Amino acid sequence: MYYAPETTPIDLPTFHSQIKLPYTLTPGRAAGIFLVEIANGRIVGSRFKDGSVIAPAQDFSPKDGEEPEALVEAPDTGELTGFTRVDGAVIGLIRLDGCANAFTHRILGELADLKVGQRVKAEWDGAAGQSILAIKGFVVAADAPVGTVKELGELPEPLGVVNYAFALDYEHAYGPYYGRMFDEIKQNGVFMGVRGSNADEALLPPREIDDITHKRTGTWKACADTGTIRACSIINIEVYGQTRQVPYVYAEVVLDGASTKMIHVIEIDDLEHAKKNIKPGTRVRAVWTKGERQGRVSDIERFEVIDG
Amino acid sequence: MGFSQVAVLASAQTELRPAWNDAQHIDLISSVVTNVFKGTGLSLDDVDFVIDSGSDVLDGRSISNCGFLGALGAHHKEEARVEEDGLWAALYGVNKIRSGASKVGLIVAYSKPSESAIDLYWSAMVEPFYQRPVGFGQKAALGMQAQRYLAAYGITDSDLADLVARRWAAAAANGGVAMGDAPDAAAVLGAGEAAHPLTNLMLSRPVDGAVAVLLGAEDVARRSGRAPVFITGMGTSMETHAFAERSANTLDSVAAAAKMALGKAGWDKAGAADVAEISGPSAVGELLVLEGLGLADAGKGLNAAMGDGINRSGGALPADPVIATGLVRLAEAAKQLAAPVRGGATGPEKAIVHGTGGLAMQTNCVFTLEV
Amino acid sequence: MGREVGIVGVGQTHHSRRRTDVSQAGLVREAVNRALADAKLSMDDIDTVVVATGPVLFGGVNQPEKWVVDAIGAQGKSVVRLTSGGGAGFAGALAGYYQVAGGYSERTLVVAYDKLSEGPLQYSISTLYDPFWGREFAVGIMGFSAAYWRARMDVLGHTEEAAAMCAAKNRNNAINNPYAHQKKAVTVEDVLNSKPLCWPIKLLDVPPISDGAAAIVLANDKVAHHSNSRPAWIRGIAYCCEADNAPERSLMVSEPLALASRQVYRAAGITNPRRQFDVVEIQEPYSCFELNYYESLGLCPPGQAADLVASGATQLDGDIPVNPSGGCMGANPIGAVGVIRLIEAATQVMGRNESHQIKDAKLALVQSGGGWANLRGCAVLSA
Repeated sequence: MYYAPETTPIDLPTFHSQIKLPYTLTPGRAAGIFLVEIANGRIVGSRFKDGSVIAPAQDFSPKDGEEPEALVEAPDTGELTGFTRVDGAVIGLIRLDGCANAFTHRILGELADLKVGQRVKAEWDGAAGQSILAIKGFVVAADAPVGTVKELGELPEPLGVVNYAFALDYEHAYGPYYGRMFDEIKQNGVFMGVRGSNADEALLPPREIDDITHKRTGTWKACADTGTIRACSIINIEVYGQTRQVPYVYAEVVLDGASTKMIHVIEIDDLEHAKKNIKPGTRVRAVWTKGERQGRVSDIERFEVIDG
Repeated sequence: MGFSQVAVLASAQTELRPAWNDAQHIDLISSVVTNVFKGTGLSLDDVDFVIDSGSDVLDGRSISNCGFLGALGAHHKEEARVEEDGLWAALYGVNKIRSGASKVGLIVAYSKPSESAIDLYWSAMVEPFYQRPVGFGQKAALGMQAQRYLAAYGITDSDLADLVARRWAAAAANGGVAMGDAPDAAAVLGAGEAAHPLTNLMLSRPVDGAVAVLLGAEDVARRSGRAPVFITGMGTSMETHAFAERSANTLDSVAAAAKMALGKAGWDKAGAADVAEISGPSAVGELLVLEGLGLADAGKGLNAAMGDGINRSGGALPADPVIATGLVRLAEAAKQLAAPVRGGATGPEKAIVHGTGGLAMQTNCVFTLEV
Repeated sequence: MGREVGIVGVGQTHHSRRRTDVSQAGLVREAVNRALADAKLSMDDIDTVVVATGPVLFGGVNQPEKWVVDAIGAQGKSVVRLTSGGGAGFAGALAGYYQVAGGYSERTLVVAYDKLSEGPLQYSISTLYDPFWGREFAVGIMGFSAAYWRARMDVLGHTEEAAAMCAAKNRNNAINNPYAHQKKAVTVEDVLNSKPLCWPIKLLDVPPISDGAAAIVLANDKVAHHSNSRPAWIRGIAYCCEADNAPERSLMVSEPLALASRQVYRAAGITNPRRQFDVVEIQEPYSCFELNYYESLGLCPPGQAADLVASGATQLDGDIPVNPSGGCMGANPIGAVGVIRLIEAATQVMGRNESHQIKDAKLALVQSGGGWANLRGCAVLSA
């Protein structure tokens, strides 16, 4: 049995990275109508051929994928069929009166007051709009009258798009190889790679195992902050998340002493001039960012063409 | 139609740690890929394909396999990413070898939940219109699953605590899991509420780690240095996304997966296995798996769980490298079957292996192993 | 040896720039219903399901097959998801192929989709880059793709016009494709004069952004005839990779594609691809990739792709038509494209292609790929 790499757990700083995305999600017909109607204080459910009703409305039966026969209005009363508490908030499974299914929602109340089979009713939040949270949650309502499923009448146009966003935060480990590389950049302003398993040129970024041979890489080697463009293109499109003003050159630069690429930018004034003068084989040098180095790729502000 | 038999030839794991702060994904991956060949007489050159399990959301990187190909040893080979527990990657690999198209496959699964917010990994899995806004996620699903189970069968939280303590003790004895002193039942009960009625220690502990399993066709296995452990049956089943629509207090998908696997293996029941390695995301989850496999009657999982052959490695409760856990179970079960026994003694000959994915175990996979 | 595997049913959505009438799950349903109907089967007849999508950041749902399973009525079945960037659909089909070939199932449904209108596409793709090393400068993979096209232009003397010919050919072919949504006749000059986005890639070198899904039913040789008297048999299929930051990586040819085609051609008995194939369907995420693939697939000698497209041989009436369907230029729901290409090739050899049936097509080549141009595969289909 092999447990490797053999190291002792130590506490090291991490590299913070965030992925943050906006979405425009389409709920589909049933959920789209549900979201329109919930803002009007109505709960929309789906009725299937066998007469069973589920709420909230679905385009497809969670049991077998069958499509519903009609959308109906479900009452806002029902019973609790399960519950838990996470981080102090109670979440439960609610079966609305007249419905065959249960669904998850917030329970506004204390866990100690809850039992399976408990009558509950929705507490509405008029300000929440077209969201499942137009029901703030369900409250215990021992004597809530049993509601019934009703026909919905004329259906509104379903909501086509729901705005949604999420942000994912990461604390990436540097590991021994990136750790040393970024430390050298920060402390000494030097790009250190490691020699490939059978080459003098350095792999950048460095790593323990050579990607091609899957053998151990060689010794550390300092690379220059000058290099040669391997490939480049002229970015003239503006997209979400971009960090530089267009137009600029996206360049894959092989630093002198290295064999693999570093990705960076070259600033340009003019597209036509750049087409002719910045190309594979062009010699470039790094322009370091002013001020204290952070130990990141952005310690280099950009690359510039070495004239002549 | 003769399909090739497929065997587990070898496995390698990193230590499973709460946080591998001093190693990147590629460091963990390349170390298991390097080590898995030791003692097999095979090398990376013999490998026809690589199938890996990992998660873009956990890794913080889209198509993350694409950035790890070198570490995976996949350069210029066929590679596939199954974005599900590594046991499904192994299932793919077995099919590939059974078809006769390949002889040797490398299956790799890895996880570094310490780098991300694990709760988001789970909550991003639920549909975004009804469930996500109300805060439904893995903890809530496991909590409700447990609340119903305890209520239905009169099991107490201290019963669960005994089970958890047993699993941590087993992990401590088995090795390979970084931990301080294994918690006793009192510590499990006092670990703070995760999702009522479950305490934090009644949920599986997310850990970082990587595992590699080398699969080979029968002729390769016979020539390899160790006793081959054959994969004789496989099955998997996914249930509805709607948690409340699934049968209460039973995991139909475990039963369905087991039925498939046992049918292919020709076993009449899961009890034919001498050992079982199962992946429970919670203490109650383990019990439901044992009952779903048919190793215990409904509501009686606890007795079986405390038995000698179940999760000798400690299982997922002390160490859950999310999305690699099932492949770790396969590696651990294969090791138990392949371990040499003293003359005159008999070792285990059959094992059942289980992996899971999704909220409250929406999908499940079962393998049978035999020597 | 394993079982023979055929494509016995196909279905795709009418792809669109934006579908606000169905959810991601509902979109998948449409393709699945069509494929099952085409195979004269219901979900009950399907043993296992493979779902494939591009990166989950595209749609904001992690492991979306766990949501989609309800919409396709596959509850209780063996369901697993494959992902491989742009090649996801193809990678899914490959996994499905081995489920059938390896005896795990008799019939497997493979469904692939992406609903790209729902998220910020280029930013999602940029997260392919190492967060430590270059992600902040990425523009999806458009900047990268353009950079390596530029390198090829410089080394091989290919002009922007060669890629523009591919773009114009595919765009014009797409006009007759009932499932495409980008259907406008363009000339080579229109492509050359379109706005540079990541020069040398220009607006009309870039496929549209699409919502779409595609599904195929795979069956073994024992049960295939229940669905189809003339299945499209998969005679060879492979999908190879190369490490992304390798010293030697030149991208003059796609090494993984060259490796995959070598394997597949050997399995299928192909010795002269240019002469033997009746039709080719390739996945060209940017027009320039088509040139690279001509060479990597051996349709012409290395370095001569520009001559091949200029000769007209890959046009509809040429001797080796490439993308009669219009390829990605008609619709590009990324994760689905691998399956769409398989469908277009399968219907050609089945003799019922809806865009442009190539007369007497018997042998078809399919190419797909993803990642950082480092995951590449191909398949050979025959009647």
